Amino acid sequence: MKKMGILVSMLLVMCMVAWGIGFVPEAAAAKKKPILIGHVHAMSGAMSMYGISCATGGEIAIAEINAAGGVLGRPLKQISRDSKLSPETGLRESKDLFLNKRVDFLTGTISSAVGQAISAYAKRAKKIFIINISQSSRTTEELGHRYLFRIDTNAVPYFGYGPALALAQKWADKKIISLGFDYEMGHNGLRVFKEKYLQLVPDAKIIDELWPPLGTTDFTPYISKIANSGADAFFLSCIYGGGELAFTKQAWAFGLYDKMHAVQPCAGDVETWGKVKKGEPYPKGALATCRYPFWSIEDPKSKAFVEEHYNRVGFLPSYGAMNQYFIIYALKEAIEKVGAVDTEKIVDTLETMVLDTFVGKVPIRTCDHQAIMPTWFGIMKFTPDLPFPHITEVEVLRGESPYHSCEQIRKLRKK
Amino acid sequence: MRIEVIAAQALSGLSVGMVLFLIAAGLSIIFGTLKVLNLAHGSIYMVGAFICYTFTSTFAHVIGVFWWTLILAPIATALVGGLIEIFLLRRIYAEEMLYQYILTFGLILVLGEMCKLIWGVGYHTVSVPWPVNGSVPILGISFPVYNLFLIGCGIAVFVGLLFFMHYTGLGSTIRAVTYNREMANALGINVPMVYTGVFMLGCWLAGLAGTLMPPMSVVALGADMEVIIGCFIIVVIGGLGSLPGAFIGAIILGLLTSFGIFIVPRLAVAFGFILMIIILVIRPWGLMGKPE
Amino acid sequence: MKGFLERVVVIKRLWLAMAVAFFVVLPFLIGEGWLSLVNEMLIMALAASGLNLMLGYTGMVSFGPAGLYAVGAYTTALFLTKTGIPFVIAIVAGPIVAGAVGAIVGWFCVRRTHVYFALLTLAFAQIIWTIIFEWYGFTGGDNGIVGMPVPDLLMSISHYYYFSLVVVVICLILLWMIGNSPFGKILQAIRENPGRTEFIGINVKRYQLIAFVLSSAFLGAAGSLFCGFSDSVFPDYAHWAKSTDMIVICLLGGMYNFAGPIIGSIIYILLSKLISSYTMYWMLFLGIIVVLLVLFMRGGIMGFISEKLSSKIQEIRLRGQYDTGS
Repeated sequence: MKKMGILVSMLLVMCMVAWGIGFVPEAAAAKKKPILIGHVHAMSGAMSMYGISCATGGEIAIAEINAAGGVLGRPLKQISRDSKLSPETGLRESKDLFLNKRVDFLTGTISSAVGQAISAYAKRAKKIFIINISQSSRTTEELGHRYLFRIDTNAVPYFGYGPALALAQKWADKKIISLGFDYEMGHNGLRVFKEKYLQLVPDAKIIDELWPPLGTTDFTPYISKIANSGADAFFLSCIYGGGELAFTKQAWAFGLYDKMHAVQPCAGDVETWGKVKKGEPYPKGALATCRYPFWSIEDPKSKAFVEEHYNRVGFLPSYGAMNQYFIIYALKEAIEKVGAVDTEKIVDTLETMVLDTFVGKVPIRTCDHQAIMPTWFGIMKFTPDLPFPHITEVEVLRGESPYHSCEQIRKLRKK
Repeated sequence: MRIEVIAAQALSGLSVGMVLFLIAAGLSIIFGTLKVLNLAHGSIYMVGAFICYTFTSTFAHVIGVFWWTLILAPIATALVGGLIEIFLLRRIYAEEMLYQYILTFGLILVLGEMCKLIWGVGYHTVSVPWPVNGSVPILGISFPVYNLFLIGCGIAVFVGLLFFMHYTGLGSTIRAVTYNREMANALGINVPMVYTGVFMLGCWLAGLAGTLMPPMSVVALGADMEVIIGCFIIVVIGGLGSLPGAFIGAIILGLLTSFGIFIVPRLAVAFGFILMIIILVIRPWGLMGKPE
Repeated sequence: MKGFLERVVVIKRLWLAMAVAFFVVLPFLIGEGWLSLVNEMLIMALAASGLNLMLGYTGMVSFGPAGLYAVGAYTTALFLTKTGIPFVIAIVAGPIVAGAVGAIVGWFCVRRTHVYFALLTLAFAQIIWTIIFEWYGFTGGDNGIVGMPVPDLLMSISHYYYFSLVVVVICLILLWMIGNSPFGKILQAIRENPGRTEFIGINVKRYQLIAFVLSSAFLGAAGSLFCGFSDSVFPDYAHWAKSTDMIVICLLGGMYNFAGPIIGSIIYILLSKLISSYTMYWMLFLGIIVVLLVLFMRGGIMGFISEKLSSKIQEIRLRGQYDTGS
C-alpha cells in the first residue's frame, strides 16, 4: 500500500513538472495584444543574408506601422526562426510558431523544399502562409491552395520567361549552351526558359545541357566544354551565390565573357555581387534579370527604405527585404478592410487585392495567389555611381506575360 | 571529340585532381601511420583556405603576398593540426575505431563553427597572383595558367614527398613506425612525437591545398564537406596509406569527373561511389595498398 | 524509510510502468507544440534503438543508417501517394522494404570489417541519397513528396501521437526480446571477440547480416512513422548528417544499455531545440559535447548512471541478504 502511495506521488510530481513546462504562460496579457507574424527563413549559414535581410524589411514596415498606431489599435510583432535550409527544421519551427507562440500569419523561406513543406502544413492547419523569396513556381502552381500566397516574383519570370524575353529582344542568339545545378529548380529553370525562348526565336537551339551537382564550386571541366562548344551564348540556370562567384571567376580566367554572350540571370543579385570591386572578375556584359534594382528606382520611399535597411544591418537590401515590407503592408491593409484578424475573410480580401507599392501597382492574382511583381533586366557593367557591378540599360517587364497564365496553371493542376 | 577538347578536359580534370590529391595524400598518410581515418581532414583544408584569405587580405599591400601566404598558411594549418593531435587525438589511439570516428566527427562540427564565428557566413575571394594569372593557348584553346600551375604543384609535392619518405632519415623513421610501432618504440624512436609529426604533415598538405584553391574558386563554409567525400573515394581507390595510390586515385577521379560529364551527366555523381564500392568489395586495400 | 526507497529504485518494472503511464497521460498535460516534439523524440528513439542493435550490441559501426530510414519513409510516401493502399499497410510496408534493402546492402557490407565496413555503409547511403535526389520522376527529387493522404482519424496531433506511441512501444518490446535472446547474446559475443566466436562454430558473417537486416527494418519503421508525422519526405532523410545524429544519440544515451538510445533521443532533441533558440552556433555546442563524450563519458548517460548505481545496488542487495538473516 505504501509502495503504491510513493509511486503515485512520484508519478504526480513528474506530471506536474511536465504540465509546468508545457504551460506556456500566456504572456501577461499586455494592454494591447500584438498581432503576431511568424517568419521562418535561413537565419544562419550561407544563405543567412537573405533571411536577415527579409526580417529587416519586415521590421522596418512594422516600425513604421506601429509608430502610426498599429493595426486596429494593436501593434504588430514579427518572430523570426531559423529553418537552417532543412524542411524538417522549418516544419518544426512553423509548428512551434503556430501552436506555442500562436502566430496569426506565417511568412518566409528561401528554400523551396522548406516552403513546400510549410505550405502543406499551412493547408492542413488552415493558416495563411505568404512566401517572400522561395522561387519554385510549383509551390503556387501545382501545389497551390487557398491559404498560400506569394508576394515575390517566381522562377518563371526570373529564371525563365524574363531572360527569354530579354534575350529575344537584345541578341536573339541561335545556338545556346546551358549550365545548371542538377536539381529540380535548375531543370525547371531551363525548361521554362526554353518554353518561351523557342516560341519567340523558333530556329534557336539549345545545343547542349550541362548539369553539375548542386553545390559544385569547381566548374573548370564544364567551362572548358562551354568554351569549345561553338555556341553564341551560354545560359546559366539557377546558379547563384557562392557557386556563381566561383563560376564567374573560372569563366573569366578562360576569357569566356569575351568569347560569347552570357545570359546569367542571377548576376543581377546585389546579395552576391555587392562586395565585388572593380578589377575583380565579374559577369562582364552579361544579360541579367534583377528583382530589386534600387539604383534605378526613383520613388523616394524606395530610397528611404534602402537607407534604413543599410543603417540597421550594414548591407544593402535584397529583394526579399522589399517583399517582406510589402507583405506586412498587405496584411495591414487586409486586416483593416476586414476589421478583424479573421483568416478566412483575410484570404478572400487578399486574393483580389492590388498592392500600392514603391515599384508601382502590384495586383495579386486570384487563380494562384501570386502577386504580379515586375522583373527588371539589363547588361552587367561597372559604372561610376556604384562600387559594385550591376545591371545597366535597365528595362522592366510588367504584367502577366512573364508569368504562366492562369490557363497554363489550370492545365498543370489537372495533371 | 576533337583533340583540343580532349586536351582541355584532361587538363581541367587533372588540375581539380591535384588539389584533391594534396588533401587525400594527407588523409592517407595519417591513416597509414596513425591508423586513424581523420574525418575532419576536409575541415582542416577549409581552415587553411580561410587562413589564406586572412593573410592575403590583411597584407594585400605587400608585394607577392600570395607567395608569402603559400609558405606561411600551410605551416599555420599544420600548427593547428599539431594542437588537435596533442590535446585530443592522443587520448583515443588505443580505443576502438568508433570513438576515433566520433571524435573526428565532433571536430568537423567544432572547426566548421569556429570558421563561421571568426570569418562569418559570406563568400570571400582571393585573386590569382602574378605571374600565374592570365591564360595560354593550348592547341588553339585558351587555358588558364593557374590551373597548369596547380598541376605542377601537385606533381612537385608528390615527388618531394616520395623523396622525403624514401631517401631521408626522417622518412625512414616514419616508415618504420608505420610498419611496426612496437618495434620502432623498442628501438628508441619517440613514437608519440612521430605521430604528432605525421599528423602535422598531413595537415600541412591540407593547408597547402587550402591555400592553392582560393584563387580559382571561393572561400566559404561548406568547403569541408564538398571535398571530404571525394577524398574518401580517392584513398579507397588508391589504397589507404599509400602515397602513390592517392596520386593515381586523384588522377582517376579527376579524369572520371571531367569526362563523365560528357557521357552520363546525371549519374556522374554516383560513379565515384560505385567505384568505391567495387574496390571495397573486391580489393579493399585499393590499387596500391597492402592487404592487412 | 531510506531502505525502502532504495528498494523501490532497484525495481525496474515499476519504473517501466511509470514511464509508460507518463507517456500515455502526457497529451493532457502539455500543449500540442510540445506534444509534437515528444512525438519526434519517440520516433527518433525507435530509429536509434534500431541502429543500436547493430552498433551497441554487435559492434558494427555503420555510417549509413539514415539511408535505410529514408527507404522506409519513401516507401510509405510512395505507396500513399501513388497507390490507394490503406495507411496502416503503407506504414507496415516501410520496414519490410527497408529490411529487404538492408539485406542487399548488408550482404556487401559484411564482407568487410572495421574501417572498410564503415566506408561501404557510407558509400551505399550516399548512393541511396543520390537515387532519391536524381530520380525526379519517381521520388520527386529534391522537392521531396509533400502532402500524404493521412486518414482523418490520425490527422490531429494527439491522435498521431498515440499511434506512434503504440508502434514505438511494440517495436521496443521486440527489440528488447531480440537483445535478450540467445541470438542477442551471440551478437554481443561477436562484438567482444569475433575471432573466438568464430572458433566456437558461429558463422559470424551470417549473424552480422541478420543484425544488419533487423536493424534496417526498425530504422525503416521509424522512417515510415516520420513520414506520416511530417506529411512529407525529403532526400535529406538519407543524408549522412542524419546518420551522425543517430550515432550521436546512441553515444549520448549510452550504447551498451537498452534505454540508452531512448534517453539519448529525448535529451538530444531537447538540447538541440533549447540551444538553437539561443544561438546560431548550435553545431559548435554539439561538436564540443561529442568530443567531451568520447574523451570522458564513453558509456553515455546510461553508462554513467548504471556505473554509479550498480555499486549502490550491490550494496542494497548485500544488505538485503544480511537483513533477512540468511
